[in-house]
Amino acid sequence: MMSGEAWLFLLAVLINAVNLFLQVFFTIMYSDLEWYGGSPQTALGSGHMRALNASSAAPDYINPIDLCNRLNAYIIPEAAVHGFLTFLFLINGYWVALILNLPLLGYNIKKIVDNTHLLDATEIFRKLNVHKKESFIKLAFHLIMFFFYLYSMIVALIRDESS
Amino acid sequence: MDGWLRHQIARRLDSLIQRGPLEPLSRAAARACKAEPLRPELAQPSTESTCIETPPASSRANSDALAQLNLIMSAPPSDGYGQPLDQQAQQQPPFDGQPAPHEATAAGKKKKRGYAAQAFEVGTGANALAGGQLPVGQQYGAPPMQPGAAPYGAYPQVEPQPVAGVPPAPGYQYPQAGYGAPQPVAASQPAYGYQAPDQGYQPPAGPGPAAGIAGITQGMAGMQVGGQPQPPQVAQQGRPTVLNQLYPTDLLTQPFNPAELDLPPPPIILPPNTSVTASPDANCSPRYIRSTINAVPTSNSLLKKSKLPFALIIQPYGALHDDEDPIPVVQDQVISRCRRCRTYINPFVTFLDHGHRWRCNMCNLSNDVPQAFDWDAAAQQAADRWQRHELNHAVVEFVAPQEYMVRPPQPLVYLFLFDVSYAAVSNGLLATSARTILDSLSRIPNADRRTRLGFLAVDSSLHYFSIPKDSDENGETSMLVVSDLEEPFLPVPHDLLVPLTESRQSIEKFLQKLPDMFQNNQSNGSCMGSALRAGHKLISALGGKIVVLTASLPNTGVGKLDMREDKKLLGTSKESSLLQTSNSFYKSFAVECSKNQVSIDMFLFSSQYQDVASLSNLPRYTGGQTWFYPGWHASRPEDALKFASEFSDYLSAEIGLEAVLRVRATTGLRMNAFYGNFFNRSSDLCAFPAFPRDQCYVVEVAIDENLTKNVVCLQAAVLHTTCNGERRIRVLTLALPTTTNLSDVYASADQLAITTYFSHKAVERALSSGLDAARDALAAKVTELLQTFKKELAGGSMGGGLQFPANLRGLPLLFLGLTKNVGLRKSTQIPSDIRSAALCLLSTLPIPLLTRYIYPKLYSLHDMPDNAGIPDEATGHIVLPPPLNLSSERLVSYGLYLIDDGQVQFLWVGRDAVPQLIADVFGVEDRTQVHVGKGRVPELENDFNERIRAVIQKSRDHRSLGVGSITVPHLYIVREDGEPLLKLWAQTLLIEDRADQGVSAAQWLGSLREKVVQ
Repeated sequence: MMSGEAWLFLLAVLINAVNLFLQVFFTIMYSDLEWYGGSPQTALGSGHMRALNASSAAPDYINPIDLCNRLNAYIIPEAAVHGFLTFLFLINGYWVALILNLPLLGYNIKKIVDNTHLLDATEIFRKLNVHKKESFIKLAFHLIMFFFYLYSMIVALIRDESS
Repeated sequence: MDGWLRHQIARRLDSLIQRGPLEPLSRAAARACKAEPLRPELAQPSTESTCIETPPASSRANSDALAQLNLIMSAPPSDGYGQPLDQQAQQQPPFDGQPAPHEATAAGKKKKRGYAAQAFEVGTGANALAGGQLPVGQQYGAPPMQPGAAPYGAYPQVEPQPVAGVPPAPGYQYPQAGYGAPQPVAASQPAYGYQAPDQGYQPPAGPGPAAGIAGITQGMAGMQVGGQPQPPQVAQQGRPTVLNQLYPTDLLTQPFNPAELDLPPPPIILPPNTSVTASPDANCSPRYIRSTINAVPTSNSLLKKSKLPFALIIQPYGALHDDEDPIPVVQDQVISRCRRCRTYINPFVTFLDHGHRWRCNMCNLSNDVPQAFDWDAAAQQAADRWQRHELNHAVVEFVAPQEYMVRPPQPLVYLFLFDVSYAAVSNGLLATSARTILDSLSRIPNADRRTRLGFLAVDSSLHYFSIPKDSDENGETSMLVVSDLEEPFLPVPHDLLVPLTESRQSIEKFLQKLPDMFQNNQSNGSCMGSALRAGHKLISALGGKIVVLTASLPNTGVGKLDMREDKKLLGTSKESSLLQTSNSFYKSFAVECSKNQVSIDMFLFSSQYQDVASLSNLPRYTGGQTWFYPGWHASRPEDALKFASEFSDYLSAEIGLEAVLRVRATTGLRMNAFYGNFFNRSSDLCAFPAFPRDQCYVVEVAIDENLTKNVVCLQAAVLHTTCNGERRIRVLTLALPTTTNLSDVYASADQLAITTYFSHKAVERALSSGLDAARDALAAKVTELLQTFKKELAGGSMGGGLQFPANLRGLPLLFLGLTKNVGLRKSTQIPSDIRSAALCLLSTLPIPLLTRYIYPKLYSLHDMPDNAGIPDEATGHIVLPPPLNLSSERLVSYGLYLIDDGQVQFLWVGRDAVPQLIADVFGVEDRTQVHVGKGRVPELENDFNERIRAVIQKSRDHRSLGVGSITVPHLYIVREDGEPLLKLWAQTLLIEDRADQGVSAAQWLGSLREKVVQ
């Protein structure tokens, strides 16, 4: 019989996995935008990719408008899920997990309050590097937290067994 | 002429000009020394005919070139940065066009002296008269106390106006004359040709009889082909040994002369044989593209070390109409492009395999030359490839075939959104704009008879107008009112957007009636956001322009804006929030418009807060422009006239449609960032639903890999539909030399292009992180540049001064001007609407207009030289007086001055202006009767009045600046002892003065020096 603690960390592992995949998705989308739009000479093997598009009028890019619309749909849910998880840690009194999650929570809240959380199609190319960096950092954070939750879950399970 | 000499001449000629009329003569010699680059045998037939014509052709060339040579020799030193000191000294006083300068000046200025004399006594009159000018000569020329002691060529007094008959001053000549000019020099004076590879800013040279020849030599040195030290080395594609020379000057002891801002940028010195044809237009003129550095560092680390930006300032159009700025058009739809990098064939490619293939100058891939390349399809005969425009001109336009269209070319569409609320009716906006459109119907481009117009009137509801065709007998224009603002729908499916040709009379009738229809409208609402949506719906299938003419803040419906200006916020760090969009509709809608090829222009007239910051987003991302007329009222004739003339020019402009801009460059370079009014559809593609002709764009270039070539090329291509339904590509190719040397980079830096780049950057910074951050970034940048120069190039020592290269001398003051511009200035007085409008200008104006917007022109009129204000004999253009430094020290109390920043002009009447001057200029007896404020100079029957009016007119002439613009500046008459607010406003343009929160030029340079020296 699993304890509440183990259940909580199992949930955390699952939620975290979702966020992890979301960040992977973000990162891939950002690089797609850069890759396809980027200079043909810097992108490896893009020679014939360009040749396919005979005219400069042909749409040879991932549309930044579509990209923003697509990614923007996930930004609030991601922050909300993460906030929910943090809240669970708070009411259950898992202080270590809570403290680890607080910086990201604060960052997300600040962005939403400043109304800068959504991607802006008009500025996406100028801010692409910033977005990518942010995405990478979040990716790393989620990865670490993933193992932390997994570890905590196992510890909890072992404790369940032994008790 | 014996054989040997003949051979020598031929060789030299050949090195000068690879393929000219003289070619057959020099051919054998050229072959012998392998100077001739590969020329395909295909062109043989035409060569034969040239052969037959050779003697006359060459003699004609000789005489032509001689004529050009004369031009060079007699050209005024207006082109020169550096001149020999002694020449310099001989050349003073400033206006020495006359054979006997002093007498002539004295006689000619009798009148002006008279003005002065009445104010003071005659004796001081002469001094005072000189006060405006003489110091200029003394300071910028050789300082009289230490002639020749200056370590480098003193920065000369530069005469902005060509004066016929100036003794040949061997100043540096920019390569205007092209390849051909020096030819006969070598022929007739072989002994002097290629004396020395002197280039760039000329160091002090000995005076004397050789001066004229030195001038020639220098003139040639500037030519692209003249640069090689030894003719036999022509064949070697070595790095050109000498690029522009670096001439450090001291910013503190040799103050900046504003006339330097009119100089062309440091020349682009390419190695010989860089282009396949010897055309003088083979490289892009600075009118269309200016690079911040005309010598590109070979590595990114060197660029980083220089701290200079690498960016292109691209202004694809030089005028509002094609006939004012003709560009060669390739009509035959043979467009040869590189298979890999999609570069268009240009003068810098190389031909291989007897001309069957060409090697791309960007990515080195060899491509097939299309069969039709040497075939004249119209005449059904072989054509001479070397005559093709794309190999002779760096700026060409290709007529694009089907593949370049995603859909058939769209017609030109103008949809006018009239504000008919109380504010717009009462200030006469509706009547004036309807009247102007009516009068300009014939000016709207309609060559293909497809142009369509639509009209929408907006208050708190939408008013559509269904306009019948002229052929429809019973047709009546009907108004359809829709008050659903959330989901605006089109009340009828047709006749809302009508072809101008077919409905001309109905449109005219409608425009005449329109002002009356809303004469008594008391509505104060404006649902402009909803109207824009409705308009978008109406034209999105076609694309086109939405022209918004509004005098009120959109306060109902979609995109509703609030009055958010708070006087308490001005001048604080929170001010920047007022400069940002308050409603995200104005961004998302702009993006949607861009997608559907809809461009929006804003004409804003409110006397109250109108949230220009939010509204200007629509033009910003759709290739449009924001025009702001604060406090406009049609009852003032100046206001009505200004708007009517600008709006009429606006309607007549031959805009491009459905355009994209892409910049390609040599492998190793990457376009990093783009600035201007457009939407980035991908990381290197800028989309313009409509391509205006009065804006410039900044493209930042990054160096990704080390550059191995001697020359790099950058090619901007604008694919667009002309307003008469033709798909075209305007291609601009710029070639720049590379260098491993930091001093070359600095010596070839273009201060105006750098300023333009940082002006765009500062606007971006101001919008994102606030005005303080933007100003600080500018100050930090100029400090950094000065420090880098000191550390890397001035050997770490500054002496007592502040060293900077001659070609960048204006940079600190231009940056000061930028931080003091109304868009960025620290002040608690500037309403955010005015600021936002200024920021729009700072990020769109083409270089010549931006330069005077940042550093306005100040002309002294009461003592202008005799040739000023009348047409120049040689060119027919009105001669302007020399510009003065923008400091109130330059203003004498009895003077009359013109201050012009391109947006407003101030005619400054001094406190002690004598009655005679007032009478001559304004036709009134006393100074106090001069009408202060917006006005104009009355037309009077006297010479001085005519000249003043000519100067004012010339100063606002865009065409002579090489730019298209619709702006007609207001003229404000300012009395030094009159209206204090107006006087204060005029004084804010004197950027070298200390203003309430800004430093003076001397303080600025002093503080820079402190930071640099420490």
